[in-house]
Amino acid sequence: MSGAVADVGVLARPRTRDVIGLLARLVLGAVILVAGLLKVGHLETSARAVRAYQLLPYDVAGYVGYALPILEVAVGVLLVLGLFTRGSALVGGVLMVVFIVGISSAWARGLSIDCGCFGKGGTIAAAQTQYPQEIARDVGLLLCAAWLVLRPRTALSLERFLFPDRHDQARIDPDPHHERPPA
Amino acid sequence: MTSSSASRKAKIQAATPKSQQRKGANPVVVATVVVVVIVAAVVTAVILGSRDKEAATTAGGSSLPKGASAMGTGIVVNPGAPANVPTLDLYEDFQCPICAEFEHRFGEGITALAEKNQVKLVFHTLSFLDDNLRNDSSNRAANAAACAADQGKFLEYHTATFGGQPLKEGAGFTDAALKSFAEKVGITGAGLTTWQQCYDGRAHNQYVESVQTQSEKDGVHGTPTLKLNGKDVSLNGFTNESLDAAVKAATK
Repeated sequence: MSGAVADVGVLARPRTRDVIGLLARLVLGAVILVAGLLKVGHLETSARAVRAYQLLPYDVAGYVGYALPILEVAVGVLLVLGLFTRGSALVGGVLMVVFIVGISSAWARGLSIDCGCFGKGGTIAAAQTQYPQEIARDVGLLLCAAWLVLRPRTALSLERFLFPDRHDQARIDPDPHHERPPA
Repeated sequence: MTSSSASRKAKIQAATPKSQQRKGANPVVVATVVVVVIVAAVVTAVILGSRDKEAATTAGGSSLPKGASAMGTGIVVNPGAPANVPTLDLYEDFQCPICAEFEHRFGEGITALAEKNQVKLVFHTLSFLDDNLRNDSSNRAANAAACAADQGKFLEYHTATFGGQPLKEGAGFTDAALKSFAEKVGITGAGLTTWQQCYDGRAHNQYVESVQTQSEKDGVHGTPTLKLNGKDVSLNGFTNESLDAAVKAATK
């Protein structure tokens, strides 16, 4: 973003950016958390949803299916709380990239599957596939993750309460241009 | 100016006892704890998932039901079908409502194809809905059907079970209901005792599990799935006539 735009736009205010970050964090975190919770009690279904993509060997797909829900719950909780936001958003973003690649690949290969993002999964009628919507949703979530990786400081984050030292320092060094108080 | 304030801060920090230097928690410690907990949880999930799967696939007996030639293969309804007719594989889960609907609409036509030996009809009874619906009815129904197959009553039992599928998905089948289907299709007397022993002992459970596993390896990830000579048959616009035509085309 150019300096001129940053100075006049409301986005220039660090506080505004903190709130945008909060929204990105809550949206990304809540979706990942819910997705994980819906699957964590149905590990075999989750494993089968991964196998339905037919990208990984049978056993490996099973392990991924068992691991994914609990990983999602963990990342979702960290994001909602605002703890280790950058790292959690990075993991969340990588997951989104993997999901987008997987769904696109299923679409390209002509498979008719539910993405299994929120449980279920497996083959469905061709007319019921929702590849564009699923990809669009994951791209939106990827943008949230990208914002948080680039600017992990958010309003109402747990890490601000837990690690005030780190944030005092962070307030001094990075990008003084953007941190200038509004005139 | 910055450097002098920094060095002053450093001196203050050096003079301060370590415990008072940080206002908050130690991020490294917290991060380590969080990462360790997440890794432990993920590893636990993978171990539990694998162990449950292992336990499920090794429970019960390992005998093959009549009509199945090997673990993972379906039950052949009409083994006497000539070699030139195509093989029609049907993958169904007894708790799947669309399968019941499918049976209701097309079951008779498909049975007729088998009776006239125009196809070699092979059933794969799947059980994946159990995990979705949080019960074990698909597995038990598949076991019950395999026990009925031993007495040459697979097709009849299969039809009776879909006919008796509860209206509410997930309500499942009671043991008594599965037994009543056996009686309904004419398994009585000593035959019923044999069926009951087979069912109670889950004589074919490892076979049932192997069919589920093999179907996923063969790319079947939903029910009902139809394959004619190994190729998926689309259910879009499916009719008994369209199936007859496809069967004719595939007959050598």
